[in-house]
Amino acid sequence: MDTEISNMADIDIAWCPGCGNFPILKILKQALTELTIEPTNLVMVSGIGQAAKISHYLKANVFNGLHGRALPAATAIKAANPALTVIAESGDGDMYGEGGNHFLHTIRRNPDITNIVHNNMVYGLTKGQASPTSQIGFKTPVQVAGVFLEPFNPLAVAIALNASFVARAFSGDAEQTKEIIKQAVKHKGYALVDIFQPCVSFNKLNTFEWFKKNSYYLNDSHDPSNRNEAFKKATENGPFPLGIFYINQDNNSFEENIGIYQENQKPLYERDLDIGKLKSLIETFIVAK
Amino acid sequence: MSERILMCGNEALAEAAIIAGCDAYFGYPITPQNEITAYMSKRMPEEGRVFVQSESELAAINMVFGASATGKRTMTSSSSPGISLMQEGISYLAGAELPSVIVNVMRGGPGLGNIAPSQGDYFQATRGGGHGDYRTIALGPSTVQELVDCMPLAFDLADQYRIPVVVLADGILGQMMEPIVFNKKPRRSLPPKDWALTGAKGREQNIVRSLWLPEGSLEKHNYKLQAKYQQVQKNEVLCEQYEVDDAEIIVIAYGVAARIVRSAVKKARQEGIKAGWIRPITLWPFPTMQIAKAADELSIFLVVEMSMGQMVEDVKLAVAGKVPVVFYGRAGGGVPSVDQVLEKIKQLTIPVKKQ
Ligand SMILES: Cc1ncc(C[n+]2csc(CCOP(=O)(O)OP(=O)(O)O)c2C)c(N)n1
Ligand code: SF4
Ligand SMILES: [Mg+2]
Repeated sequence: MDTEISNMADIDIAWCPGCGNFPILKILKQALTELTIEPTNLVMVSGIGQAAKISHYLKANVFNGLHGRALPAATAIKAANPALTVIAESGDGDMYGEGGNHFLHTIRRNPDITNIVHNNMVYGLTKGQASPTSQIGFKTPVQVAGVFLEPFNPLAVAIALNASFVARAFSGDAEQTKEIIKQAVKHKGYALVDIFQPCVSFNKLNTFEWFKKNSYYLNDSHDPSNRNEAFKKATENGPFPLGIFYINQDNNSFEENIGIYQENQKPLYERDLDIGKLKSLIETFIVAK
Repeated sequence: MSERILMCGNEALAEAAIIAGCDAYFGYPITPQNEITAYMSKRMPEEGRVFVQSESELAAINMVFGASATGKRTMTSSSSPGISLMQEGISYLAGAELPSVIVNVMRGGPGLGNIAPSQGDYFQATRGGGHGDYRTIALGPSTVQELVDCMPLAFDLADQYRIPVVVLADGILGQMMEPIVFNKKPRRSLPPKDWALTGAKGREQNIVRSLWLPEGSLEKHNYKLQAKYQQVQKNEVLCEQYEVDDAEIIVIAYGVAARIVRSAVKKARQEGIKAGWIRPITLWPFPTMQIAKAADELSIFLVVEMSMGQMVEDVKLAVAGKVPVVFYGRAGGGVPSVDQVLEKIKQLTIPVKKQ
């Protein structure tokens, strides 16, 4: 399908040739086109990093904020205007390291947003330090003797927190990744898509071939409503399962839970100032003489 | 190690910290100071000392807080946005009166800005930076050698006054290679760390805190801090002066901007303009007295910064309206050129001569 609608005019894309971010950009544009999401209605929210640059590379409303802090901003953007499609997209260091606390609490809050994480198991932009998802033994100019920390397991954490949608994909597999992203965007509630992405410049361990060899798709018998099974799958330490691990339809979204939309569906940003209400509010502060 | 060797600023300051006895380094990646973290990751374990790449700057500064509480020499490094994140921890370190060294290899701001050199964090470094009534000592070296010499001084000052010390560098100083010597100067004689958490065997327990709830106790604590800051102000000012005695104009700059000023002033002298410079090395405590004294003798000051004007406020406070203080600065990665500064000097002095 033609993704013309989300293409930018001539832009300089500052990724290394052969980087796994290119296919993710292409797949995302394809998915959005097939879902007929208009750029005017899309907000791409990102933090800082190579992955986080993606918000600048497709046609959308762009919020490029602080390192690690895309999720709180995305939550607020969605709350102010629930009609928008909001995608928070960054790298593994950004979302799971610097932003790790926001990751936990956004899952608990359950805003209706899609959280795409380009997981290259390294800090790309700062030139190759270990990230929270780096594998044990991974050597870098900083982790000279190799990583010895237990890798962060975003899927297991999300399922433990009863997240509403949890999936993993691989940038090297366009068709399946596109389908997963489409499901995630359509899903009501917080949706995590962790995407294995080779960094050709700074991760010589987790290469395209490595990801290919060390991953497999969950088979059709996998029941995404079975939380225990999903958790078990998420803790598999290689080969790593790909696909939709877990879907929890039970919880209301954050926008549904906060009072503001229960009686009035009008997005916050469109609401006029209620002068009468303001007046009575002010009057409660005026002490009668 | 006393022979001259060629090193970039980031690595040189890291080695200098190790020589100064830094027991533990904690840091999180950010450009343009990743060479410090990389260098420390190799050298600290070689020396049997602690290196940690933390999950965020908040973790790094709180690891510094913890390590410092045990009486060990500890430091972190980052660049502007990361240093902003650390401010809460620095305020607590100041409140709890714990020593620590924080290196800020400044980049352009505000916000993410860019990775170009900048001096935009002067206010943050010299006003405390976080919440509450406190100061941090701030050092502003202008060569790699001076950066190297700053590190043992920073650790000594931190221990002597139980205070966080900020070393302000920038992308140029961090990346530039210069020949240096690791001078082994005798250490100051420092007070014993009888406040450290070392296990309370045979003594009363020590308590590390910045919380003072009983009525009046926090005010008293603040007076104690202020008395300490006055001692720092009285004893620790460092600045360099050049051809100040007969000068008509004095240019004030610190860090990398001072290197440019130095060339511009020398050119001005060659052209017969009576110019001189004052270069603060300690940014807090600020060389207020030196500048105030100069203000009695000459007719104009020019302040040059790689910012939109921050240190200029301290110069104005020192000059106290006695003579004009003119500012020239560039921000967001812009670096003033020698010719631009020289031009400014000429503009300001030629009319004076005609009078
Ligand atoms: C507060 C703060 N700290 C540190 C940085 C430096 N920094 C920029 S991106 C990044 C991490 C990049 O890693 P990741 O999120 O995995 O993205 P990638 O580049 O690998 O796609 C870091 C540490 C920053 N910009 N802001
Ligand atoms: S450094 Fe790695 S992640 Fe960044 S653009 Fe290059 S290949 Fe991609
Ligand atoms: Mg990454």
